[in-house]
Order: sequence, then structure tokens, then C-alpha cells
Amino acid sequence: MASSDALLTPAPVGGARWRYRLRLALREPTTVIAILMAALFAYLIVLPILSILADAATVQFGDERRTGGGTGGFTSYYLYRAFVSPVAYDLFWEPLLNTLKVAFGAITISLAVGGVLAWLIARTDMFGRRWFATALIVPYMLPAWTFALAWNTLFKNRTVGGQPGWFEAIGLTPPDWLAYGQVPITIILALHYTPFVILLFGSALRRFDSQLEDSARILGASGWVVAAQVILPLMRPALLSAVLLIFAKCLGEFGVPYVLGLPVKFDVLATSLYRSIGSRQTGVAGVLAGAIMLIGVLAIMVDAYLAREARRFVTVGSKGSMNRLSRLKGLRWPATGFAGVVFMLSVGMPLLTLALSTVMHQPGSFALSNFTLDYWIGQDLPTVAMRTGILFSPDLWQAAFNTITIVGIASICSGILGVLTGYVVVRTTIRPLAIFLRQVTFMPYLVPGIAFAAAYLSLFAVQRGPIPGLYGTTLILVLALMADQMPYASRAGISAMMQLGKDPEEAAQIVGAGWFRRMTSIVIPIQKGSLVTGILLPFISGIKGLSLFVILAVPATDVLTTFSLRLVDYNYTQAANAVVLIIAGLAYGGTVLAQRLTRTNLAEGLGT
Amino acid sequence: MPDIVLSNVQKSYGGGSPNAVSDLDLHIHDGEFMCLLGPSGCGKTTTLRMIAGLENLTDGEIHVGERVIDSPARGAFVGPEKRGMGLVFQSYALWPHLTIERNTDFGLRLRKVPKAEREARVEKVMKALDIEKYRHRYPSQLSGGQQQRVALARMLAVNPGVLLLDEPLSNLDARLRLEMRAELKRIHAEFRTTIVFVTHDQWEAMTLATSIAVMSEGRLQQLGTPNDIYDRPANRFVAEFVGSPPINILEAATTHALDRAASHWLAGRLGESAGVGSVGFRPEALQIARSEAAVPGGSFRHAAEVTGILPTGGSWIIELKVDGRALFATTTESPALRGGERVWVHVRPTAVHVFDAAGLRLAEADDVLARAA
Repeated sequence: MASSDALLTPAPVGGARWRYRLRLALREPTTVIAILMAALFAYLIVLPILSILADAATVQFGDERRTGGGTGGFTSYYLYRAFVSPVAYDLFWEPLLNTLKVAFGAITISLAVGGVLAWLIARTDMFGRRWFATALIVPYMLPAWTFALAWNTLFKNRTVGGQPGWFEAIGLTPPDWLAYGQVPITIILALHYTPFVILLFGSALRRFDSQLEDSARILGASGWVVAAQVILPLMRPALLSAVLLIFAKCLGEFGVPYVLGLPVKFDVLATSLYRSIGSRQTGVAGVLAGAIMLIGVLAIMVDAYLAREARRFVTVGSKGSMNRLSRLKGLRWPATGFAGVVFMLSVGMPLLTLALSTVMHQPGSFALSNFTLDYWIGQDLPTVAMRTGILFSPDLWQAAFNTITIVGIASICSGILGVLTGYVVVRTTIRPLAIFLRQVTFMPYLVPGIAFAAAYLSLFAVQRGPIPGLYGTTLILVLALMADQMPYASRAGISAMMQLGKDPEEAAQIVGAGWFRRMTSIVIPIQKGSLVTGILLPFISGIKGLSLFVILAVPATDVLTTFSLRLVDYNYTQAANAVVLIIAGLAYGGTVLAQRLTRTNLAEGLGT
Repeated sequence: MPDIVLSNVQKSYGGGSPNAVSDLDLHIHDGEFMCLLGPSGCGKTTTLRMIAGLENLTDGEIHVGERVIDSPARGAFVGPEKRGMGLVFQSYALWPHLTIERNTDFGLRLRKVPKAEREARVEKVMKALDIEKYRHRYPSQLSGGQQQRVALARMLAVNPGVLLLDEPLSNLDARLRLEMRAELKRIHAEFRTTIVFVTHDQWEAMTLATSIAVMSEGRLQQLGTPNDIYDRPANRFVAEFVGSPPINILEAATTHALDRAASHWLAGRLGESAGVGSVGFRPEALQIARSEAAVPGGSFRHAAEVTGILPTGGSWIIELKVDGRALFATTTESPALRGGERVWVHVRPTAVHVFDAAGLRLAEADDVLARAA
């Protein structure tokens, strides 16, 4: 009886409910778009990472004899080689140690210098605060290895061939420890990331509720007590966050250690990975990339954890942000001098050195006859390859063209995808899909650029199924760059959509607008500004980017950064410096332009 | 527009959280001005958004006349853009990139209404709401009250069958709010639309609505006219939520002298087994006499001490204490009382609200007390 009853029960009740849910999900294209995008990102972000991790544990072509297994079989040989074998110290442990030494050195210096500057700018009556607030951020707008080249121009000694540095040229041979390796790399990274501390710490100081300070003062606390017991403890989250983000960035830094570490075999993880790829040790490269990713993930996770912890006691949304300025009195001039010196060291000297070097035949000689514009606009020069000034070199224009098209297309794509991600994440009714999209687009943030490039190489270098091998094409650069920019693009898109809220779109829905109508008449016009920012910002950072390109670009797809690096390798110092100056100019000009266009302070946006 | 009927509506956001709306039955008649009233989180906005189609039901059904617009069991759902309703958001949600005129005619353009007719219609609503002089401005150039009018105009332009309003006055200052209340009443009369209005402000609900649905924790507590709600609250929640200063409540179960006296007084009229849980009387029903002799016969009475007199401009709140328990009375005549003075408080039998142990109104008590008076 029971079974026939079950048969008689009308199924439509359950069926109708499923139909209802399906109808709700498919009523609008949002869900379909979300699914397509999830698939796209899985392919462009997750798959490459999985591929390189798989490389680390499978026998690579040509390694059959060493690993004792067939190509594609499982092996722990690469893990053994990178972590335990006699060469492990050179391959992994020493680069790791060097990375940590450089990172912590850079963090210590930039915190000390940046912390003081942030306070001077935000809370004191130092002269020229406004000017310094912008000027001291400039190093962050320039590629870090601009400074490495400037350092080289000054301190290069006879250890390496080619044109000597200025000091060597005037007879003062700088010692190796000053010219190459840990010391200059640490100093340069510190100068490069100081703006980061100024931004993060400064904005925390500015947001600081002065009522908290006033309460302590009224209870009788002196300025020092207030600083030590009220302000600093509350600033700790901002400080820790700066520390971890600088660490994560140092981890992936390639250009500076490449230029300054190579002459004395000072390897960091990024350059060691580059070497493994260069010497076709795909398996070991997989291990190294995995290790870099793991450290990156750990750093970001610790940061996220601390940020969550910090939220528990951080006070937000108070009105008392009209902060008073501390009077420096007698220290006013020395403080201004300090800021000026930092500016000179981090912006003035490097750029001036580079600029001068491009108009001088011999380094370090300031005789009038030594100056020339040949390296910019000369013709029929007596050199082997660069027979014209850089501006007449077709290679430069080809590289510039590549840069604009590759970075441009990637930025436009990631900007649009970012806005779409934002829309879909905020609007889809299927929560797991939203969570997946949010997280998958954030993943490249955890993976330093050089490891991400290695992952792309691992997946796309050869033909897989219907997808042909992409190595050497423009497409692989565009895809990698686009995926690499997704964290910023999707975050911008999501926050813009969150800020907009659902209401304006729902209002349109109520008066009868369908999905496409709402997109074209309401959502996109309103989000125009954030779309422009979402394209411009990645474009600027893409122009000065090096680590992705250095692995994925070939001479035919040279961009400005790899082009200048090639010139460095060939010892065309003046030409290389000229190209770097062009990049710096583009990056700086682009930032200023974007700032004008969007009427926002992009320097702050760059900090995140 | 035909009547809107919600039957047994349930809404759950999942994840183990309690239902946002449970077992809701609501019949909204054509031309009615209905207020959904309740504290924040009571499910009133969710209900409004379900009517609009911006949220879907977990169970139950909504129909408009014969047309089912949302029913999981039948697999039916009509999208918000096809319901022909209007919704004014708490945030106004004006489109920042369109002028006031384009905000207003957006819906008409969508419907491909001929230009002449469209302009006439826009003209009419803009004039009715007194915003025609801002037609070429952008929303950010208008004040809150003006934006509010545009949000209304935008919805009225498409001549919706029902106008849904989600706390539309909560972002306005007191004077503007008063003006807009009058405006809404006028619009209701002029355009003859059904209006469903969500608010947590009892005075707004009292002054505007033809009927009020009081909600709490996702459930409908009482549906009635403003006078019903105030004079015959269906349960203690409604009695305590509506009215300011709040109703005085005495618990039958406590041993405090005042509560015992009230129980005793009630038992004398209703009998011992009436199942009284608590007794309430509104502050304006609590009267004050200098001596027991001045108390009218049949009223509940007790000795009390005046502990404070708070003028509120035109009326006074008198705070009294009986053995530490506070009572509030209000009066519109300047009270000739001093703090610390010993007085008698008394309440007419008809002004007493009696609730059972579960907090529901004891209807029998109303009849008995009415007869006693």
C-alpha cells in the first residue's frame, strides 16, 4: 500500500520547486555570465598554478634517467633536489636566506624612515608638507630597478666588464659589498617601499580620532605618554600590514636582484627561479615557484588574520579627525632637511644620475666635450649593434608599440572583467558562485609575478588539447598580465558595485527595465569612472612590470622593460638607462594623468 | 489595481537564521493606504520587497487579483519589471547620471509612450510634486526633500497599480517630514493608487494609514485601523510598541503591592479564574487626584509619589513611583504638583487593557469592564 501511495503522490510539488529555483536563477543572464566567468578564471588562474605544482612532482622530459621513471610519472626527485641534495643550498636555501635578509633589511629601513616621514607629513608643522606628501611617493610610481640601474651607473666596479661606474672612472674603486649584492639591494628596496609605509601609516595617522588623544591629554598624559600608550598601539595594525605587504612584494622582486645580485652570485628566490627556467630545469622551477607561492600565501594569510584581529579594537567612523599639528619648533628645519635628503636619495639622485649618464660618453667625466646627445638622437654610431640613438632605434619603437598594445589590451580586458566580476558577485543569487569568483580573482595576489609567469609557461608552453603552444606569442603575455591584474580589477569592481548598491538598478527594474537595458542605461554609465580607473591603474603598473615579461617575452614580443634589461645584459648602459627613463616618465605621467582624470589621489590607490 | 493577497508567506535567507517572515497572511485592498509598522528587523521591508518581486518567497503565495505573481509551489514567478508597481527606496536611489527630467521619464521611455503623451504625463507629475523647476538639474544638486519628491515622481509617472514606499521619510528632517506626510496623503487622494508604506515610526503610521499591519519578528501581530491599533492592541507587543511614553504595564504574577492591587481589583470584576497575565493603561489614561475622595467610584486606584515633572512643550509627562515602581502619566494641562508630593493615581475601567498569560488581549475583559463603567 505504502508504495502505491508514493506513486500516487503528485510529483509536481517537488518538480515545481526545482523549476521555480531554476527559473529564478536563469531569469536574468547574471548567473550564466557568472558561470562563464568562473570557468574562464579557473582556466586562466587556477589551472596554470596547478600545472606548475604538478610539474614539481612529475618526471619532466629529459629527466627520465635521473629520476628513474618515465616522463609524466610521479617523482619526488625535484623536491629532493631543491631541498635536500648537495645543490639544494645553492638552489633554494641560500636564495631563501638572501630573500629573507634583503626583505627584513628593507622592511626595517623603510619602517624607520617611512614612519618618521609619515608622522612629519601627517601630524607636524614641517615646511612643505603638502609638497613632500606627493614628492615622497614618487619612488613608488617608478620601477624599482630604475634605482638599480642608477646604482650601477654610480658604483659599478671592475668586477664586471663594460663601462665602469662613475666612482671607478674617477679612480675610487667601490668595494664589491657596496657595488653589488645584499647592501645595495636592501637599500634600493627600502627606498622603493618607503612610500608604501608613508601611505599606509600616514592615512592611519590622519584617520586617527583626535578625541582619543584629547581624552588622554585631559586625564593628564604627556605627549610622549600619549604617543606610546595611545597612538602607537592603535597604529600597530597599519604597521603590521605594511610589514607583511612589503615582505610579499620583496618576495617576488626580480629586477633589482637581477641587476645587482648577479655579478657577485647573490641569488634570491626570484632569480633562482629565473635561472632554473633559463636552464630548463622545469621540475625544480616548479618546486621553487611552489615555495614562493607558499611563502606569499602565508604572508597574506597572516596579514588577513591580523587585520581581522585588529578590527576588534579599531575605532571607526568618529568625527574627531580634525587632528592638531605638533609644533616642531627648533626641529622644524632639521625635519624638513631630513625629508629633503630622503627625497634627494630616493628620487633626485637616481633620476639625475640616469639622465646624466645618457648624455655622457665616458662615465664620471664632467668635461663639456664628454657630453653628447648621440645616445638619444645620434646617427651612424661606431658601435656594434646600437648604431643609432635610442630614439631612432626601431627596436625601441617596436618595444613601445608592444608595451602599449599588450599592456593596453590586458588592462582593458581586466578592467571590463573587473566591473563584470563586481556586478556578478554582488548580484548573483547563487552565493557559492559569488564566493568562488571573489576568491579566484584574488588568487594571483598571493602569487608573486615571477612564479605566476612560471606557471603560465608551464601550462601554455606546449600544445595541450585544442590549445596550441602559446610561448613566444603576444597572447600569452596578454593573458598572463590580465590574470595577474585581476585582483586589483575585481576588488575595484566589487567595491564600486557595493558602493553603488542594488537600489538604483532595482529602481530601474521596478519601472520595467530588463537586464540589458539596466546594464546599458544604468549600471555602466554610473560605473564609467571606476571602469576608467580600473583600466588606467593596471595599465600604469603593467608598463613598469618586469617579472612577468622577463619569463614570458621573447625578442619578438619585447616590451620596454625587457628591452632595457636586454640592453643592460649587452652593456649598452646609456641606451638601457634612456629606456628606463622613458618607462619612468610614462609611469609617472600616466599616474598624474589618471589622477587628473579621476580627481582622486591615485598614490593612495597604488598602495593597496 | 486588483487586491494584493499574500497567503501563508514564508521567507528564509537560509544558513540557519530564523525566518525573516513567517506565516504571513495579508490582504491589501484596492485604494488602501496600508502601513507596515514594526521595529527594525521585523520583516516589514522584506515583505515589501517580496510584493515588489525583488525578493522571492521561500513558501506561500502572492497574487494580484487572479494573477499569481510568486508561488514556489506552482513554480510561478513574475519579475519585478513586469508587475507594474512602483517602489520608492529609503535611499531614494535616483540615477546620478540622469537629469531630474530623464529620471522621471525613464519608465515612460521604456514603455515607448508617444512623446506628446510622455511629456504631458511628466509635466503633470512634476507639477504635482513641485519639482518642474529642477528638471535640468542632476540629483546631486538637490536637497534630500527634493530628491525624495523626484523618487516619488519617477514612480508615479508610470502610473503604477500600487505604490510601495520603504521608509521614505526617515532621511528627512522633522519639518520636511511633516510636509511630505501631507504630500503623501494628498497624492493618495489625487492619484488614487494603493499605497503600501513601510515605517518604524508609529506617528507616521497613525497619521497616514487607513490600515496598519504591525509586525514583529517576521510575524503579523495585528491588522487594523490606526484607532484599533491604539485603543484595542491585540497583544502586549502592539500595546508596548505603539504609544509614547509607553503604556504602563502591571504583571499579575509579581508580588509588588501595585501589581497585587491591580490583580485584586480585576478579580473583583472578572472573577479569580479569568487568566489575567498583565494589565496595561496608557499614560494619558492615568489620572491624578490629591485625595482618595476625589477618585471617581469604580476606577482602579492607588497611592503614589510624584518623582518628576517633565514639560514637553504644551503637555507634561509626570513620573510617579509606587514602592520604587515607575509609572508615567501625561497631561495637557499644567499640573499643579510638586516633586515628592503624595497623590492618588486612578484609571477608568474602560481604559484598562487586560492581557492573558501569553500576552494576548482578553476580549471578555473588555466587555465586562465596559459594563462595569
